[in-house]
Amino acid sequence: MAVIETKGLTKVYNKDQVPVHALNGVDLKIEKREFTAIVGPSGSGKTTLLNIIGGLDSPTDGTAIVQGTDLSTLSDSELINFRLQHIGFVFQAYNLIPVLTAIENVAFVMQMQGRPQKECNKKSRTLLEEVGLADKINKRPSALSGGQQQRVAVARALSSNPDFVLADEPTANLDSVSTADLLDMMADLNEKENMTFVFSTHDQRVIDRARRVVTLVDGKIAKDDVREEHPNA
Amino acid sequence: MIRKIITLGWKNIWRNPTRSGVVIIAVLLGIWAGVFISAFFNSMAQGYLQNQLDLTVGHIQITNPQFGDQFNPKYNIEEVQSLLDTLAEQKHIQQIEYESQSTGLAQSAANSYGVTIHGVDTTHTSPPPVIQYLKQGDFLQSIDRNPILIGKALAERLKLDLRSKLVLSFQDVDGNITAGAFRVAGIFDSFNSKYDKRNVFVLRSDLNRLLGKKDLIHKITLKLGNFTNAPQQAEQLSGSYPDLKIASWAAIAPELEYVFSMTDVSMYVVMVIIIIALVFSIINTMLMAVMERTRELGMLMAIGMNKRRLFGMVLSETFFLTMVGTPLGLLFSWITVSILGTTGIDLSAFAQGLNAYGMETVIYPKLNASYYWHITLLISVAAILSALYPAWKTLKLKPVEAIRKI
Repeated sequence: MAVIETKGLTKVYNKDQVPVHALNGVDLKIEKREFTAIVGPSGSGKTTLLNIIGGLDSPTDGTAIVQGTDLSTLSDSELINFRLQHIGFVFQAYNLIPVLTAIENVAFVMQMQGRPQKECNKKSRTLLEEVGLADKINKRPSALSGGQQQRVAVARALSSNPDFVLADEPTANLDSVSTADLLDMMADLNEKENMTFVFSTHDQRVIDRARRVVTLVDGKIAKDDVREEHPNA
Repeated sequence: MIRKIITLGWKNIWRNPTRSGVVIIAVLLGIWAGVFISAFFNSMAQGYLQNQLDLTVGHIQITNPQFGDQFNPKYNIEEVQSLLDTLAEQKHIQQIEYESQSTGLAQSAANSYGVTIHGVDTTHTSPPPVIQYLKQGDFLQSIDRNPILIGKALAERLKLDLRSKLVLSFQDVDGNITAGAFRVAGIFDSFNSKYDKRNVFVLRSDLNRLLGKKDLIHKITLKLGNFTNAPQQAEQLSGSYPDLKIASWAAIAPELEYVFSMTDVSMYVVMVIIIIALVFSIINTMLMAVMERTRELGMLMAIGMNKRRLFGMVLSETFFLTMVGTPLGLLFSWITVSILGTTGIDLSAFAQGLNAYGMETVIYPKLNASYYWHITLLISVAAILSALYPAWKTLKLKPVEAIRKI
């Protein structure tokens, strides 16, 4: 079973005035362990596609099925819970909680899942070690560089044991060294821990590292290029 | 998780310490000012009430039903000794004062003025409360024959001094005009200039002799442990003595009843006005705090924070913002009220005006402990009400739109 499957996914903004077709019948299947980049020019519908498969937005037409669940059948509160249990998010602007330390930010999602505090702390520590921030666990986001904040964001996304991680332009605010480090880390997680990653990106460095590149143009899939299989496939 | 949400709420209010500090100080000052003003006016009103009760009205008055119409001295209380004995046995009655009374004219060589003449016993265990305001002379002891105690205001009007002579003329029990010469044994100065001018005190034996009947008692005034019980007690006594007029202070002086009932209401009105102003200030601050964090709130919803928790977080932030200032405000106001309640606030600069209304010139602010609890409760409710609109605005956010906001 595909982790993500979209059928005829269509999104029209401003339907009643000047309609803007952000997505135009997108059919896409993403399997477990994929390391997929959604690419395309600005306005091609990358973020809209990610928002819909992340349950943050609803399509005008078509369906988005995630782990066998048609997201359109879920209420708002069910969607929030679905996201909590199944999806990890990494945002372009990191979006960490500024008043919490790195370890508190990572543990926060697990605490919302209702896991015991001890387990939350232990796993948060392990995740931060994995992303190379063992010495920064008690730092607040303001004391971390952009790259370090994005690593915390990745650790937070992984903390809930999601079925996949959605990352919207994760390297857009990072310098080249931080970008390379982040990509190495995510590729490593994909390879060793079979974590499924779906990115939207403009960044050629990210595109170069992706195993599959889906190109969107004007809300349609213009090209779907599977470059290499996952080593454990 | 609730603990975590509350902790997050607490940390969030310190993101912008200046803004939160301003709100906390506003709450502190608002509460301090509200409580202090309430304590001040409460004491002023209570002092006025208490003094009126002490000096003029008492808690319960017993008279002959016909005496009250024209103060005709022939309408005295019959079989008064057995009544006094019965009253003395009642535990809820703390003090029994009695007097013969007449209205008449006080004349000196310089002037004359209409007065109420109180005939009192110096040997009685419950002397009239006016004794505490005695400023010169003594309570009818230093002069052997027909001593009189007069108010300072009357002394000034009639140009009298200690040992000066004045003549009282009034109606006796047979309806004839009678008169007696009295010599000033003491001068009192209460804070109530009207009272001081209109009331004189003589020995009951002297007054009764002139009235033409020995052992006259026209009025019995009772003081209870708790003056608020007076209406019920008066009603009970009326049942036992249907031939007498037995009235509580509330019935005798309805204006005092109004002061008593309105004092509490006024205090809460003042506080509620202050709290309403604070509520809008808090709502404004919280709306700013929520609006500038739209993106972060959207992120929280995206990663799985449900609306209940989000609501709880904003609610706890508002609650903390309000409740940090509340105990400090209450503490400062308690300290202020405690200190000024001991030292007093001297308003002698306004003595003439205050005395005309029967108010003291030194105010000792005080408040019941229950008032502090009520304020805390009111503020807590206000905090929750303040939180509702910002929290509702938060719930209306769509995560996808909120995250897009820069």
